[in-house]
Amino acid sequence: MASPLRAVPAHAIESLEPVVLQRVRAALPEEIRARLRSARELDRTRRDEAEEHPPLATAVPALDLLLDGGLPRGHLVELVGGRTSGRFSTLLAALAATTGTGETAALVDLGDGLDPAAAAALGVDLERLLWVRPGGLKEAMAGAEMLIGAGFSLVVLDLGAPPVHGGRGAEAGWLRLARAARAHGAALLIGSPYRVSGTAASAVLKAGRPRALWQGGGGAPWLLGGLSTRIEVEKHRHRLPGHSEGLDLVVADAPPAPTVVPPAPRVVVEREATWQEPLRAVGGRR
Amino acid sequence: MTRIACLHLPLFPLAARLRSEPELSREALAVVEGNGNAARVVAGNRLARGAGIKPGLSLPQARALCPKLVARARDETCERAAQEALLEVAERFSPRVEDAGEGIAYLDVDGSEHHFKGASPELELGRALLAAAEGAGLPARAGIASSKLAARIAAGLPDSPVVVAAGQEAEILAPLPLSRLAPEVEIAETLERWGVRSIGDFAKLPQARVASRLGRSGRDLHATARGLDPRPIIPREPPPAFQEGMSLEWPLVSLEPFLFVGRAALERLCLRLEACGLACIRLELALRLEPDGHQTRAIDLPAPTRDAKTLLTLVRLDLEARPPGAPVVGFTFAAQPDRPREAQLSLYGPAALSPDKLATTLARLFALLGPGRCGSPRPVDGHLPERFSLVDFTPPPPPEVRRAPRPGRGLLAVRVLRPPVALEVLTNGTLPAEETTPVAVRPVVAESGAKRPKIEGAVKIASGPWGLEDGWWTEEATGRADRDYWDVELAAGGLYRLYRDRTTGDWFADGIYD
Repeated sequence: MASPLRAVPAHAIESLEPVVLQRVRAALPEEIRARLRSARELDRTRRDEAEEHPPLATAVPALDLLLDGGLPRGHLVELVGGRTSGRFSTLLAALAATTGTGETAALVDLGDGLDPAAAAALGVDLERLLWVRPGGLKEAMAGAEMLIGAGFSLVVLDLGAPPVHGGRGAEAGWLRLARAARAHGAALLIGSPYRVSGTAASAVLKAGRPRALWQGGGGAPWLLGGLSTRIEVEKHRHRLPGHSEGLDLVVADAPPAPTVVPPAPRVVVEREATWQEPLRAVGGRR
Repeated sequence: MTRIACLHLPLFPLAARLRSEPELSREALAVVEGNGNAARVVAGNRLARGAGIKPGLSLPQARALCPKLVARARDETCERAAQEALLEVAERFSPRVEDAGEGIAYLDVDGSEHHFKGASPELELGRALLAAAEGAGLPARAGIASSKLAARIAAGLPDSPVVVAAGQEAEILAPLPLSRLAPEVEIAETLERWGVRSIGDFAKLPQARVASRLGRSGRDLHATARGLDPRPIIPREPPPAFQEGMSLEWPLVSLEPFLFVGRAALERLCLRLEACGLACIRLELALRLEPDGHQTRAIDLPAPTRDAKTLLTLVRLDLEARPPGAPVVGFTFAAQPDRPREAQLSLYGPAALSPDKLATTLARLFALLGPGRCGSPRPVDGHLPERFSLVDFTPPPPPEVRRAPRPGRGLLAVRVLRPPVALEVLTNGTLPAEETTPVAVRPVVAESGAKRPKIEGAVKIASGPWGLEDGWWTEEATGRADRDYWDVELAAGGLYRLYRDRTTGDWFADGIYD
């Protein structure tokens, strides 16, 4: 037996659809009907929310481009990067941008690596920054949750250079932090040497292998000019993994001179043999 | 004409005890005074009174009447706290409050009725007084009249609050028994012989003849019976600190039971602070120890707070760090009050932090991490990168209009290593010591076993040295530094900031370019 719909042309089905939908809706209990949304309505709600709570711009072009304008409020974003990946500079830049707009921000610094003078030079308004120096990851996560609850616009949790005090933390803890951020509309930025937050993160960015930029050479003394790296999307709701943007960081007091690609290592040390050298050739403690 | 309100806590010792231990209200409870079998009942709750227990009975007699009777000794700490709480309730309505002791407070409410609407503003004022007292856990009664005595007697009448209109004090007093005036025993016996039973009967007697027969005391009592009480209100001085505490029935030897009773006291303390619009900046805990010990400790808070949970956490941490060393038989919490932080919200600027929430969060962080681990960072005058200072976090108010974010400067930051990581460094030894260049590094084996970043490998490029001298003018070795700094890139990756201590020749890494 042929389906009755086959006899109906496509445009007629489309015209019937709202009627059918209305009937289905009418048959539903009130509490369910009140919560029903069409995809269009959902999309509009999402856009309205985005307009009402604009993302926190980080003033790092690479990060803002990859995150559609900045750190989304109410979400957990994880920035993964090893030593000398530009991770800490990016976190401080985000803090500088947030405090620069007059909002308050908090840095939970597990590695205890903040230099206040350097942070001020980067543009961080220290009066609007709360610096928390926990002793372990568990304390750091508990502290971050308290700060989110207190109403800070941006909470940055930096796990420091590896090895991290406290391992990776339980995934339930990261989910709890993400839920707290959603409940209070705070932007939560995690900086870690490796992935820790699991499924709790709305976006995960990874800083690639860095390239140091040196000035000088060829008889002139070497001078550190900066760092060049790329930030790549590992996970994002609206972006495919693999998108990347370049990130260039310069040393504050470096002179404006052309940077050079570093040369190959000049000294190759045969470790076992070299460390047996007499003490006069070695500086430092043995 | 002056209008005076009286707040009265009937059965004051019992009310004070029930305020500290509200769970006892479901039991037949009697408050006793004295020791052992000589203890006498001072007051009993409704269940106890229903079992026939009256004030004056000895404790064994009371127990014979009601075997399940719960007896509690009079507790001065509880009663002092309840009286303070009563006075604080009164101070919410008038700046002129007299502490009459034993659960009685008088307040000058002349003109206060204008704040209340309705057919009888004074009645509304009385209801507001009772509601405020109820909120503080005090089952008070209220009376409003033109004299202290009339207000006190009105407070003892049923259907509280009772308002006695100006000039009608004598009418209200007339039907009441003479005992309400609490006359002296001799005068009471004389009046009994005369057949005078009520205050009204006494007031009808001629004033001059009463004075000639009963003396000055009788004359004053007669004036009182006619509704005349010239005693003015004597306002009290505000207390220096808010205190709550109690004597314990049994000595406590473990922390959890103490925190259980301490929590209730802290909640009452925070309620009182909140009622006065204040917060606690310093909490002092006085412990009475068995047998005759006494111990005090103080907890300074980073910001004024009135969150009982936070205060309890701080008390727990303090007691865990420094146990009292003997069973606790009593305690008193004293809060040093301070004005809570205030903030003006902005319509168009970024949202400001709630001062209350911020203070509570700071106190909780303080409790979680300990002192010196949380605050607003500040650079220290000098050149040593590891130096810093922390100040209290008091963010300025947000701008009236949200500022646009400034473009980033794209600067490379250094992650400071605190303390510096000790290294062994291989140098090109042909040059003088001041000009030696590091060519390979490896960490010194940490004796403490602490986890530190591992910095090891051949040096690809080394840039330096830059000399740094600091504190050379001081005599203390801790403030001095004489270093040669190097920026090095290792062949395996990683940019580090190393330095060589010129005085010892030791090498350290004090930062990672990140």
